Amino acid sequence: MALVTGGAKGIGAAVVRRLADEGAKVYFTFHTSGAGEAAPKGRVFGFPCDVRKKNDVEAFVGRVLERESRVDVLVNNAGIIRDGLFLALSEEDWEDVWATNLMGTVYFTRAVLRPMILQRGGRIINLSSIVGELGGVGQANYAASKGAVNALTKSLAAEVASKNILVNAVSPGMVNTAMSGAARAAFGEKIKERIPVGSFAEPEEIAEVVAFLASEEARYITGQIITVDGGISLLSRR
Amino acid sequence: MTQDKNEIVKGVMAVISQALKVDDRQIHPGSSLIKDLGAESIDFLDIVFRLEKTFKIKIPKGELFPEKILTDARFVKDGRVTSEGILALRQAIPSADWETFSKNPLVADLGEVFTVGMIVDYLSEKLAMVKP
Repeated sequence: MALVTGGAKGIGAAVVRRLADEGAKVYFTFHTSGAGEAAPKGRVFGFPCDVRKKNDVEAFVGRVLERESRVDVLVNNAGIIRDGLFLALSEEDWEDVWATNLMGTVYFTRAVLRPMILQRGGRIINLSSIVGELGGVGQANYAASKGAVNALTKSLAAEVASKNILVNAVSPGMVNTAMSGAARAAFGEKIKERIPVGSFAEPEEIAEVVAFLASEEARYITGQIITVDGGISLLSRR
Repeated sequence: MTQDKNEIVKGVMAVISQALKVDDRQIHPGSSLIKDLGAESIDFLDIVFRLEKTFKIKIPKGELFPEKILTDARFVKDGRVTSEGILALRQAIPSADWETFSKNPLVADLGEVFTVGMIVDYLSEKLAMVKP
């Protein structure tokens, strides 16, 4: 059984579909968008939940656990951007991004760790971003939140590895989703030229990696930030 | 819901065996969780979760094992727990043997205070307080 936050659209919806295709029962959350692309059907269930609110998260996970009694995989995907140059970012821009991208991950992770410890195993997969490592102009708040997610991933992985709970992050580059739409619209071909493989990622390509990390084959991988960016970070390091 | 002490001992041993993945024949009332049974910090949380589930009780943070006392500069100095620290530990976890520990209160030896018997004593007291 898998939980996916922000599973209604973009990468989250692709993850929901991919895990469901693998045969998992999937519960996903949505907030402002409605159930969207990953509309509930069969073994897929979508529920509204504001990941920024600890009580909402605990209530949601509690309800799922009443029905399922275990949670094998958590994918912390819910995330937002509030881009702007550093001096133009308001406190609200910082707080919104921090609350969703980091604290949402913290609340969900806390809520599933107890059942995972008791069942002696689980997978936690956090969606990060290459800007969490590289930084990005106009993305100080977003980059800081993803850098924090990376650090959380490594620290938690070390804490819970002995309980057979594996914690990793997937760090995409430019993905063909609505969230990156503004950047793609503004700089489209120019950005593509900087990507060695010559194209944006599709959400499904990110979901493949998430599904691998959730699989039995990934049982020896923990505390890793898996970059899936078509090579863009190689050029950024030059 | 009072429980026979033997039942408590049996339940605690099963919990520790599951949490630490050790054979229950290795577990005795005097066994130190860290020194004898190899517990690490995450195992203490595991034990608390399993005790709560097995005995259907809620164990408040810091009531069975210390949480933040050892990261408080007032309570730890030069690798030793200060007298203030021992007082705080005594108040937080009265079921442990602080008399012996306080004779040479090295932080490194704190783990030895946490024994199987200490958990049994804690639970006996806790469960006795729960009205039938």
